[in-house]
Order: sequence, then C-alpha cells, then structure tokens
Amino acid sequence: MSEASPALSGKEGVPPSGKVGTPSPHGRHGLEPFFATVESAPDARVAISVRTGRGFLNLRLNPHSRKAREAAERILGQPMPLAANTFTVGKHRVYWLGPDEWLIAAGEERASDLGSGLTDALAGFHAAVNDLSGGNVELLVGGAHARTALAKGCSLDLHPREFAPGQCAQTSLGRAAVLLAADGEPSTYTIIVRRSFSDYLCRWLENAARPHGAGFSVL
Amino acid sequence: MTAAQPNRLRQNGRIDRTRPLAFSFDGKAYEGFAGDTLASALIANGVSLVGRSFKLRRPRGIVGSGAEEPNAIMQIGEGAAAQPNLPATQVGLYDGLVARSTRGWPGVRFDLGAINDVFGRVLGAGFYYKTFMYPRSWWKHYELAIRKSAGFGQAPEGPDPDRYEHMNAHCDVLVAGGGPAGLMAALAAAKSGARVMLADEQDEFGGSLLAFAASIDGAPAAEWAAAAAEELRDMEDCVLLPSSTVFGYYDHNFLTIAERCAGSPDSSVGGGVRERLWRVRARQVVLAQGSLERPLVFCNNDRPGVMLASAVSTYIKRYAVLPGRRAVVFTNNDSAYRAALSLAGAGAEVAAIVDSRPGGAGDLGLRAQALGIPVHAGHVVTDVAGRRRVTGASIAPWNGESWENVESTIRIDCDLVAVSGGWSPAVHLHSQAGGQLAWDDSQLCLLPAEARQANVSAGAGNGQWSLGECLADGLRAGAETVSRLGLKTAAIRVPGADANAGEKLIEPMWRAPAASDADRCPRQFIDFQNDTTVADIRLAAREGYRNVEHVKRYTALGFGTDQGKLGNINGMAVLADTLGKEIPEVGTTTFRPAYTPVSFGVCAGESVGELYDPVRTTAIHEWHVAAGAPMELVGQWHRPWYFPRDGEDLDAAVARECLAVRNSLGVMDASTLGKIDARGPDVVEFLERIYTHKVGGMQVGRCAYGIMLGEDGMLMDDGVMARAGEQRFYLTTTTGGAASVLSWMEKWLQTEWPELEVYLTSLTDHYSTIAVAGPNSRGLLEKLGCDIPLDKERFPFMTVKPAVLAGMDVTLFRVSFSGELAFEINIASNHALAMWRTIMEAGVEFEGAPYGTETMHVLRAEKGFVIAGQDTDGSVTPVDLGMNWLLSREKDFLGKRSLRRPDSLRKDRKQWVGLLSLDGRTVLGEGTQLVGESGEPAAMCGHVTSSYFSTSLGHPIALALVAGGRGRNGETIYAARPGLEPLPVQIVSPVFYDRKGQRQHV
Amino acid sequence: MLLIECPWCGPRAETEFSYGGEAGIARPADPDALSDAEWADYLFYRSNPKGAHRELWNHDHGCRRWFGVERDTATYRIERSYVLSHTGSDAATGSDAATNAGTGYSSGNGD
Repeated sequence: MSEASPALSGKEGVPPSGKVGTPSPHGRHGLEPFFATVESAPDARVAISVRTGRGFLNLRLNPHSRKAREAAERILGQPMPLAANTFTVGKHRVYWLGPDEWLIAAGEERASDLGSGLTDALAGFHAAVNDLSGGNVELLVGGAHARTALAKGCSLDLHPREFAPGQCAQTSLGRAAVLLAADGEPSTYTIIVRRSFSDYLCRWLENAARPHGAGFSVL
Repeated sequence: MTAAQPNRLRQNGRIDRTRPLAFSFDGKAYEGFAGDTLASALIANGVSLVGRSFKLRRPRGIVGSGAEEPNAIMQIGEGAAAQPNLPATQVGLYDGLVARSTRGWPGVRFDLGAINDVFGRVLGAGFYYKTFMYPRSWWKHYELAIRKSAGFGQAPEGPDPDRYEHMNAHCDVLVAGGGPAGLMAALAAAKSGARVMLADEQDEFGGSLLAFAASIDGAPAAEWAAAAAEELRDMEDCVLLPSSTVFGYYDHNFLTIAERCAGSPDSSVGGGVRERLWRVRARQVVLAQGSLERPLVFCNNDRPGVMLASAVSTYIKRYAVLPGRRAVVFTNNDSAYRAALSLAGAGAEVAAIVDSRPGGAGDLGLRAQALGIPVHAGHVVTDVAGRRRVTGASIAPWNGESWENVESTIRIDCDLVAVSGGWSPAVHLHSQAGGQLAWDDSQLCLLPAEARQANVSAGAGNGQWSLGECLADGLRAGAETVSRLGLKTAAIRVPGADANAGEKLIEPMWRAPAASDADRCPRQFIDFQNDTTVADIRLAAREGYRNVEHVKRYTALGFGTDQGKLGNINGMAVLADTLGKEIPEVGTTTFRPAYTPVSFGVCAGESVGELYDPVRTTAIHEWHVAAGAPMELVGQWHRPWYFPRDGEDLDAAVARECLAVRNSLGVMDASTLGKIDARGPDVVEFLERIYTHKVGGMQVGRCAYGIMLGEDGMLMDDGVMARAGEQRFYLTTTTGGAASVLSWMEKWLQTEWPELEVYLTSLTDHYSTIAVAGPNSRGLLEKLGCDIPLDKERFPFMTVKPAVLAGMDVTLFRVSFSGELAFEINIASNHALAMWRTIMEAGVEFEGAPYGTETMHVLRAEKGFVIAGQDTDGSVTPVDLGMNWLLSREKDFLGKRSLRRPDSLRKDRKQWVGLLSLDGRTVLGEGTQLVGESGEPAAMCGHVTSSYFSTSLGHPIALALVAGGRGRNGETIYAARPGLEPLPVQIVSPVFYDRKGQRQHV
Repeated sequence: MLLIECPWCGPRAETEFSYGGEAGIARPADPDALSDAEWADYLFYRSNPKGAHRELWNHDHGCRRWFGVERDTATYRIERSYVLSHTGSDAATGSDAATNAGTGYSSGNGD
C-alpha cells in the first residue's frame, strides 16, 4: 500500500545531473569548513575521515511479511539483517535500526534510483521508503587508539568480543545520537550521525583523539 | 639526617634520594624526594603546623597518611590551575609544587580567628543556629561575615587550563583497593579469564604492604605486591589504575573512579590529562579498600604531634621520615605496638606505651618490652601539653569506670603521641551500594553484611586483620566472583604469611576520662575538621537530639572533606553512651558518594567550552556565520538572530528586515523545524486522534495548520501538515518539539494503538527549509525559474507541490508565518546552501534581505500567531488561545475530554490577548506581571508572553495571558515595572496587522 | 545509573532511554462517557507502589521502541523487561526480554 504520491515523490531534492552549479552531484556534506581547517598530527593513532557521496535511505516494513521483505531484498540484491544491531554488507550496507526499520547506505547506485526501485517493489505493502541522503553524514574512525577515543563518550562495551565486526548500535557518542558500526578490520568503526550534529561530533572526536594524535581526511 | 630535611631517615623507604624535588608551603621553600607525598615531605622538613581548625582556629598538624586526613587540607597550585581542598597526604610531590594552607588568615602561625578558641566556650554545638537566628532580617549581614571566615581554600581565579576527561569502561570484576586482599582477588579473577579492573588510590600497588615490615612467601611483602601487579599488568583484558580512587557506587553496579593522571599540571604523563573520570559498569565488584584507624579521644587530642599510630609507621617505613623523636604510644588494641617497634627501629625513643587494657597486649607487647619500652597497661592519656606542638602527656591509671576527676600520676615529655582507637573497615562503598552493615561487638567496628548489588567485601574491609587472613579472604572473594560469572576458577595457592597469632582483642575506650568535670575539661575532639567535641555531642543529646542524623547536622560531626572517616564511630559511641543505648541502636549516618573529594574539573570532563552541549547547525549555517549574524540558541540549534548591515544594532537590523518582508522580500532559514513523514493505511485515523482538526477532510496537496494537545488538554505543539497522498502526510513541528513530538506519537502507536498501521520517519535533517516571504516572493521564484505555475489560482494559499526551482528538485509549500505572500522551499540539505546562495543573488533585484529569528518573531506577533513554548507554558488550552475553530466536534482527539474539566471551563482562566502600551512607546518586558489596578498592593491578573516594537505599525505590541482576557477587550490594566510607576496598557485583539488576513492570499 | 535491558538491543545505559510512566494505563474507549472524576482518575492518579512496578521505557537513543519494565521502586532492581503485547498497553501478556532479544518482533501482521 506504499505509494509514490503525486505531491511528494521520493525524488525531491536530488538535482537532475548537470543542472546545478554545485561542486559534486552529491552536494555538500556540511563538514567542508571543519575538514578544511583541522590539522592532522604527524603520528596519528586515531584516524578520522568523512566519507562523501553516500546516499541513504530509511526503510520501514514488517519483516514477518516475507513477501515484502523478499521484494525489498530483490531490489537491494542482498539480505536485510533481521538480528538486532547487525548489518549486512553487499552492494550496499543495510543497518538494522529497529524491528521494522533499516538504514540503507547506498553503494554506487544513486539513493534516488534505489529509493524509486524499492518504492515500486513495495507498492501494495505497508512500507515506507524515505530518502535521507541530505540528513546523514558518514564518518570513519580507525587507528590503534580509535576504541579508546570512542570509549571516552560511548557507554557501550566496545571490546571486540562484545562489539564484533558486523555489529552496529544506535547509541550516544559525546552528547550526540549516532549509529556506530564495527567494521571488518579490528578497531575500525563507521559512525553515521545526523547532519545537524556532525560538526559538533567532529569537534568532540577531535578533542577525544587529541591526546593520541588525530589525523583527518576526506574520502 | 640532613639539615635540609631534618626528619629524613638515611636508609630505607620507598623514596628516591637521588631525585630531590623543590616545593613551597605557605611561601617558604623546601625540598623533598621523588616518592614523597606533600605530607611526608612536610614532616621530613619538620613542619608540624599545617592549618587551623574550622571553627575554633586551633593549630593543627598532620594526623593521618591517607584519605582520612582531616587537617592538612591544602590549596595546590596557583592561579587558574589551583586546586583547593586536597589532603596533603594524597598529593604526590612534584618539582615546583606550590602549596598553601587553606585555613588560617593571615597565616597558620598567627591566625586572627584564634580568638575564637579563647571565647570558644560559647561556640558550642548549634551556636550558629542559636545566635544568628534573630533578628531574622539581620541574617544577610551575619551570613557575609560567617561565609568570609568559613570554608576551605579559595576558588581558582580563571577557567581551569587543564585537560580532564571521562572514560567509559566495562569489566567482569572491578576490584577496589590494591592491597593484599585486592591483589589476590584480582589475580584469582584474571587468571580465571575474567576481564578485571584494579584501582588503588596510591601510586603503587600493595596498600598496607608498602608501610609494614611483613613478608610473603619469605620475601618482603612489598616485592610480592609489585610482582603481583606486574603479573596482572601483563595480562590481556586487565586494567590497572594506580592513583585512582573508587569514590562512588551507584545503581546496577555502576561505579565511578577518579584517576589522578599527572602529578604536575604541566606533566605530559597521561597524554596531558590531569584527571580522568572512569565510569565503570562491572558485572561483579570486590571491595578491598582496607580499614581506617580511629584516633583516641582525650583532652587536647588535636594538638600537632598527635598522630595515628599507623600513620607513624607509614611515614617511617614508606617515606623514611621520622614524625617525632620522643614518643608516647596510646592504644586500646595491639596494632599500635607496631608503631612503637617502628619508632624504636628508626632510632626514636618510645617513652611509653599507654594501653587502656588492664591486660595489655599479646606477643607484640612482649616484643616491645624486650626492647626496653615501658608499657603502662590499664592506663590512659588524659591530656597533652603544648600548643603548636605536643610537649608532654599526662597519664593516669584507669579502672574502666570512672570518667571525671581522674588523677594523673605520670607526666612524660614527648613530641609525638601515636594513637590507635581500633580499626574501622572502609565500608563506604558497600553501604553506598545499598548493602547492610552490622556492628561487631568483639572487634568494635561496623562490618559489611548483606550486599544489595553484585559485590563482595574482602580483607581488612571485611574484618580480616592479619596478612594471612587478608590474602586468603581476597582469594575467596575473587573466586566467588568468578563462580558467579560462570567461569571456571583457576587454581591459585594462598601465599604464606603471618597470621598474627597471639594478638589480644581490642577493648572499648571511646573517650578517656578527664582530670576534671567531663563537660568542663579541655576539649576532647571527635571530629577534627569540624571541631566537634565530646561536649558538643553531649549537649546535643541534652537538647533532645536522639537520631544520629540529627546529631550530625546539629554538631557538624562527619561533615567536611573527610566525611567523618576518623570521627564517626567514636561519635556514635559517645552518643550511645550519653543516651544510655547500645551502639547498634544509635546506628550510623548514611554513607554517600563521594568517598573522597572529587574535583569539579573531573566531573565536567570534556563537556566544557564548545563541547558543553551539542551545537546543532543547519546546512546554511556557514553562510550565516560569514554574513556576521549573531546566533540565538534555540534548543541546541544555533539560529541567526539578525543580519546586521553597516554596524546596525539589533533594533535597527530588525526594523529593516521587517520592512523588507512587508514591502518586498525577506528570506529566512527555517530548517530547524521538525519534519516527520507519516504514512500507512491507518494514517488518517492516527492523525485524527493526535491532531484536533478534521484531518480526513484534507485533500491531497492541501496544507493545514494543526495543533496537538496533551491528554490534560494543554497545547503541546503545533505546525503545518501537508497531505502528500491518500495515505501519506508530511508533518512539521516546532524547532524544540521535533524529538518529543515524534516520541509522543510513537508512544501512542506502539503502546496504545498497535493495531494502526502507520510508519513515522524523521526527515528533520534531510530537508532544509528556506522561507521566502513578501509581496515579491512570487517574483523571486519566477525569476529563479520554476517548472510549475505560481499564480494564486493554480497554486493557492495552503497548498504544496513538487517543483524544479533554479534547476533543483524542491517541494514548494505556499504557507506563511508572516502574514505575507510567502513560500517555503524544502530541499535536500546537501543542496540547501547552493539554493540559498542562488536566492540571495536573485533577491538583490528586489532589495530582499535575509532575516533572522527576531524578525520572524516580530512578524508573527504582528499577526497574532502563537509560538508554542513562548506564549504557552503547558498550562494553556486551545480555548485560552482563542483556537476553538481548530477543535473538531465530530471526533475524539487526545486531550479533548480535558477541555470539559471544571478547571478548563473556569471563567477566570488566563486567555491570550494583545496589549498596547498607552504611552505609545514602551516595549514591555517579556514576563512582565499585569495587575488590574495601579495602586499597591494589586492582585496579579496575567503576564506578558511576547513583546516587540512593530516598525510596520510604528508602535510597540505585546501578547499576554490575562485572566478572562478576551471578555475585557478595550479595558485598561497595568504592567508592573520594578522601581517605576505601573504602566497603563490596553487589552486588544492579538492580531495587530492585516486583521482580515488578505495579504497572504494574493 | 540503571542498566536497562531493551528487549531488542540488550542491556544499555539508562541515558539511552526515557521514562514513560506507569504501564497498563489504558486510555478509556469513550472519554466522553466518563465523569470528571473518572477522567481525572485516568489522567492524574497512579499507583506509586513501594516495590514491584510495571513501567514504560522508550529506547529513544537506540531503536526507538517502547517497552515494559518491571522494576522494584525500593531497590531499583529490574526483574524483567518485555515487549508490549498486541492488545494495548496492559503489558501483562508481554513476553520476557530474554526470549525476544535479537530478532523479536511481536506486533503487526503476517502476509
């Protein structure tokens, strides 16, 4: 029963390519001023990067509706994580957010196209697909002291036995709500944060990482 | 002994004589060694007077060697980095340390306040309460004088330059205390595979082993401790925290530890961090914090030179300093005999051991006698001579019964009185965790009983006094946590150590008899820091105080930085004696965090300066900053307040911005509004229950203003909603309500109406919103290039359409919060700055202006648009606001029934109205109280909720909540103004501008 | 600081949650039919026991789900947390967190 409404399609906000005078078709992630001015330490043991150009979709559906789930998975080309606080990696990354809610970090494909595909595939089901590409910022934190730096502001147990690669969690980092994911390599984390909190979070990360030496890059 | 450090021993101790460190105390230069505390270095230099007492200004010396120290409370460092209230016994010496006594002015040796001691007879318990109560109006004068002479130390003068941080940690077993029991418990847990944290307040592990001559497995005990710590340090998943005090034990095994990372503020130790707060969630906790020695209570027992016997041993053995040359040891138990042996071994003369027990000590007594130390069993010290330093002790035989007029038979010259009144297990954390305490009548102490949380006590803190018992008890506690965790216990042997065979039990001697009347004898101190004496407690009891908590507050027993570590048990016992009760009947006061003082810096951690609270910014923020706009904090958002041009002030800029909107074009960043996508087969039914208007009547593509109420009928939030499809809505909330409204809706969906199929998704960050308002707003959009017609027939007021604007995909709303022709452009945030810049360039032709929150407020106030949270405060119904037109009669909605409650129907409820200052020029202060008459006193009838100068109208306008206000149109009431005559104001309609609402429809 | 077991996310620090008051307060089906006293009873009066208390919590810094917690108000001990039942906020029929952790999804319909 999802619908592509005539009034608000799933495509608003994404410019037809070539028509907009912005530096990239993805527009701005908002951290340009921060990364332009922050200085990296020579021997950084915490590496902080912003990953640009990623599209995001929020997906709601009832996972017990097998047909709806399979319809979504066909479009995604990968399984959706059903276990709480895990994510699947395929062409995209699909993060579990709640028992009927996922965040899709789109791969190469444009979020708008993926969103349209999902919306079409889920027509007739109770489902919701929302483009959140403008609302999320993706940071990568790695390095020998990454776990220590994060532990300064995160109440989760980040020990690799407790928070293993493939696990994710929505939690607080500093005073910002984040989605934190343990990546494949040990002590490497993906952080997805709401755009309006991203500048604060980067300043918080910079401060937490400072005693260990912090390096910054734009990916 | 060197001249520079006259009391320094030549040999032994855990100090490094090759690393001298310079420091100063009260402006005088001294030298100590690496490994010293400030206290041991002061003693090494012969400094015996370190402060003045709180109330009586009596000279005071160092009493203890650890957290229990009540007297040597220091201001460490200078200027902004200064730290007040640190016990010198817990400050590690570093080169360049600057210490000052925190009490005594102008100096500890000549203190003007010492006159209090002379007249001190009147300064009994409750003196301040009794004396300064009347006349009440004088309290403000009393308070100033009292505050000036009270307190410890001075607040630093500037922002703390040091770095503090927080660290979250998780472990299977947290061991508090790194003495023999704690080390054994940690070894038992870690070797069984548990993740272990071990914290100890000293900079070396070993606890009491560092200060006593004992051996474990045939080697010096300190070496065993060092090896055990090393073994733990090498284990994976084992965290060792020296110089770290576990000071708080909270719910669900959450504990806090303050780690002192660097001795010197400028040290790079610990990554430049001065202190670190560990926030630990432990599955199991072993409490092995040892025990605290109690002083004995006798006349003038606070004189410098009276010191805990264990502290005497510690200073000699650990720090190689001799606290006195000729000592008297006074005790009611065997442990103090070790201090006598230490003193004799270090070359001091022990003039006497005075033991209140008729039978004296066990084996240790024989050893003392073998060294030729005179032992006076069945005797007590009744008084000491000397003012700034003990010069002698008076000793009397004691039969255990008489309390007054006891005749002293012996007078011994001495410069040190080492005292031991027995030992109190440090049950603080056990008690903080909710655990029970039980009085042990043979050991004369409180022991940890049933625990409420997952914690086990071990060692001296569990009433195990000998080294052998402590090691075994630590192993038992460690193994118990391991089995509770479901792990397999590793086989560990208890190391061989003495079991203190041949000791005799302690016997009660809660206060020594006096040579005169018990209430008129020289002061017998119970709490040194607060100058609480035996006489104070007896007075409190006579005046009717029975409960120990009341006595504490009346006498100040157990207040202060040491929290009664020395005095509480003695105080309980004296109170019990006075009341004729048993000690357990009197009970103890509540143990609360923190165990030791904790700095504000470490509590705040990194949450200072720009990290104090998250600052949320919009996608257009950097443009606002570059434009020089001052920011207004709205919730956590930084929003541009106004955009000054050419040095304009707020009023000038707002006047210009308002006129730009009313006459031509204004542009505002409205991105902070909350935005929610709501959809599903039951979305209409759901929204009908949440919002007050008839949602189902909205056609696709229409917008509506909606409000939601709490179940109490009070306005909660408002915003524009758009119907995006048959089963899809786009909802906006106030800036501050975004998170709470979503949570509120989810609560109803998930807990009350799970049968409704609706999904809610926050779009707040994804979309940025740019409001363009003013008669030329349509012209601006046309100039930008828009793929849909914008005329009023095809794009009427309160509709929404997707569009391509300036080549970018947007959603265009024809809504207005200014009353002018206006559009709101919703665009994905990663393109919002590009859109804003495009608009700014195109707007030049219309002499358009960006405007900030202040202008937005003025424009909406001119139109009488309410702002939830400013004009309302959770006690205002939609009827009070004149919004009856929004309340559907055809359906139920949250809060509807409450609008019929008797209180909601009161005629004199405060209702929302407009106000005009009758002088035509005064802008009322927001929050101004309104009264019905100009004379005094007058009953308040309301208050101003919003107030501005309206440039468009040429006069001030205000909005207010006034009792029965809507029925009083045209009435004159008065605005109270402190210090000025009340100002007459007229009640008018809250809509000041374009009352017919035509401008937004063009 | 409490350690609260979210039925989906497992034990998390109290700071990730918000409190939602006593559980099992069902909204009257027809508020209009209620007397002022009956409505006030629903609106204002809560049991406030010393001891076992069923209450609502929202994992609002996590999975955004509302769930039930049975907590002792005197000791703060949490006996269990549970997924709310299909039939309104009376949570007695909810199932234990332990059995739902990981994949639990209790509400909604199948295909």
